[in-house]
Amino acid sequence: MLRISAVRFPASVGRPTATARPSIDVEMLRHAQVIGSAVFYTAVGLLVLAAIWQVASLIAGKDLPNPIATLAVFGQLLANPFYDKGPNDKGIGLQLVSSLGRVGAGFALASALAIPVGFLMGANATSRKILYPIVQIMRPVSPLAWFPIGLAAFQSAGTATIFVIFMTSIWPTLINTAFGVMSLPDDHRNVARVFRFSRLKYVTKVLLPYSMPHILTGLRLSMGVAWMVIVAGEMLAGGTGIGFFVWDSWNALSLEKVLSAILIIGGVGLILDRAFEWAGQRFSYGS
Amino acid sequence: MEPFFQLEDVTKTFKTDRGPYVAVDGVSLDIERGEIVSLIGHSGCGKSTVLSMMAGLQDATSGTLKLQGRPIKGPGPDRALVFQNYSLLPWMTVWDNIFEAVDSVMTDLSRAEKRDHVGHFLQMVGLWEHRFKRPSQISGGMKQRVAVARAFAVHPSVLLLDEPFGALDALTRVALQEELVKLWSLDDKTETVVLVTHDIEEAILLSDRIAVMTNGPSARIGEVVDVPLSRPRHEREIIAEPAYREVHDRLWYLLTEAYRAVA
Repeated sequence: MLRISAVRFPASVGRPTATARPSIDVEMLRHAQVIGSAVFYTAVGLLVLAAIWQVASLIAGKDLPNPIATLAVFGQLLANPFYDKGPNDKGIGLQLVSSLGRVGAGFALASALAIPVGFLMGANATSRKILYPIVQIMRPVSPLAWFPIGLAAFQSAGTATIFVIFMTSIWPTLINTAFGVMSLPDDHRNVARVFRFSRLKYVTKVLLPYSMPHILTGLRLSMGVAWMVIVAGEMLAGGTGIGFFVWDSWNALSLEKVLSAILIIGGVGLILDRAFEWAGQRFSYGS
Repeated sequence: MEPFFQLEDVTKTFKTDRGPYVAVDGVSLDIERGEIVSLIGHSGCGKSTVLSMMAGLQDATSGTLKLQGRPIKGPGPDRALVFQNYSLLPWMTVWDNIFEAVDSVMTDLSRAEKRDHVGHFLQMVGLWEHRFKRPSQISGGMKQRVAVARAFAVHPSVLLLDEPFGALDALTRVALQEELVKLWSLDDKTETVVLVTHDIEEAILLSDRIAVMTNGPSARIGEVVDVPLSRPRHEREIIAEPAYREVHDRLWYLLTEAYRAVA
């Protein structure tokens, strides 16, 4: 057997060991530099945004609060996020929690339906032919159009909002799961056929791990849309939630609060997206 | 006596938008137990289609394929296949890729025996140290070693290889060719090997007989060339032998003159 192993130089040749295997300190330093520069550029971007905002508010006058005034209100909101003074006056934290709860419930129910149905559509041509036209008709519908149906069905604005999120979150997960399962390469399938994998082994060791990155992409997209739709849904539904908070702040003529809410919505959306990205990386594989 | 692996008048027709396409037309070949037989031909001549039918991944349109008297019906581990592009499952470690195959096929072994078995074959191909790596972390040559180990590990009665070394660099290719023959001669369970290749030198180095396919469409086996070289063979030594020259010239003539590629 021919084996070509890496040529090792004796220490006396004087090859610096740092190039062969960087010491932990060097690696940590490099890592810190990467993070440092990312923080720097992000800060530059935020400063540019703040500058544009400031200029815009100078032009608009009283109608658009400037960044400083907004940040002051933002600070107040964050200082006491969980106060509860009755149904129309709750802290921003409580509003967020109720929004996240609705998104979580609708998203979880949608995923529980979309992933199995996506598997079915991906694996079975007949079910694909039957279900795909339905998906094509339903997918372009604005999720808010389902709100009255939800109200009629559940007689509760909160549950109707969860229903809207449910209808929103189905499609990206369903389509990506179906695509993932369908795109399983013949080679992988043939390995299972030649070595006679059992049905269970085929699903758990071939189909599921292959489709996992696609499923997670679908979930990430679903969560992204769900988080956008919740704001609009809660504006319609009223009561609680970050969307209600935005509308309520507008009615109270506090654009500082509206802008603060926008910052918070953006921040939470970013965190949700990154969480799914992280999960996706955990299940990714090279080829 | 009936041949070990028998292909009789095997034909494969594909349906296309422009009507039926006869890829392989009337291929007959008898393979004896213990032989290494190569199928050689230009790319697109249907040699991989023939191998795929032997593996049971495709059905013949007409004709029969029989292994030890039994007609081939679907794929199975008695005809383990080494795929052209390795076909390891990329989300599994080297170890798991072999283990899952062994686990499915060798149902009469205990879990500990299966583990020993996998370890044995990993050591045979020199990949024990790399057993916890994923396919993306090892070289092409190592990936094909894993695929070869996986195929040998399930003790197939015939080992089928579809241009197994085509994607590798010349040095790695030679190393793997010799390793394949070594495994074949050491392993007392797998004696018969069928190999698809377009590489004349590879065919001569490895085979007892070489079936030369004509060009498609309607490809068939034009001629079967014997390789009268003793084993073990070493690439550098056999080149000097007159028999090597003869076989080489004959194959060269068949592939470049008789069944010339329509390039």
